[in-house]
Amino acid sequence: MAVRIDPKQGLTVCHIDGEIDINSSPMIKKSFDKLISQKTPKIVINLSKVTYVDSSGLATLVELLKNMRSYNGRMRLACMSPKIKSLFEITKLEKLFEILADEETAITNF
Amino acid sequence: MEKKDIKFDSNSGYIRESSSRILKDLEIYGIGEKAEFEIKLCVEEAVRNAIVHGNKSDPKRQVRLCYWMDKDVLNIEIEDEGAGFNHELVKDPTKEENLLRTSGRGVFLIKKLMDKVEFNTKGNIIIMKKRVK
Repeated sequence: MAVRIDPKQGLTVCHIDGEIDINSSPMIKKSFDKLISQKTPKIVINLSKVTYVDSSGLATLVELLKNMRSYNGRMRLACMSPKIKSLFEITKLEKLFEILADEETAITNF
Repeated sequence: MEKKDIKFDSNSGYIRESSSRILKDLEIYGIGEKAEFEIKLCVEEAVRNAIVHGNKSDPKRQVRLCYWMDKDVLNIEIEDEGAGFNHELVKDPTKEENLLRTSGRGVFLIKKLMDKVEFNTKGNIIIMKKRVK
């Protein structure tokens, strides 16, 4: 699992590569620590290279969102595979997150 | 597929090992990517619950994984040596007031992604069934 953080068009785009599960969640949280402590206002997480998410991974994304909301930051998720999107639909987390089809759309008007 | 009955220690390394074994044995059935994803997720959630919540990660306690095909239905039984839990007490994570919770989605996902899920009375055995062909 790897996280790449790129400043892009005045906001922050994070690319996660691999699985978001119980094993990788601590590393993902650590990767976002600096962004959260700096109160980064807008983050797009590109999930195009994420192959698997379990309930711990969903919880990690919820925790990131909660942390961002605490300082009125906003997060968007982009490029989810249909399998992963189905988990957001089943758990109704689609109501909590802004989910966009692709990175360009996620960046536009954010 | 012949019936497999395996016991392993409460070591988190067995979470992935359990799903990998089952998926490898299912290869001959060509069940498709979606079913593979769902089975992997449910097995890993259930084994993790058995190790972490059931056995409290106590290395002296074991987890039993048993799986077999009955016609076109995959049966998976996972047992821990803990006190058991009442799955009906798990809060519905899809309710508005629970959406921001960071726990309680594992068993919910299992119930949604498997065709049938049962627990024994004590609550330390979960039986999951999924039609795969």
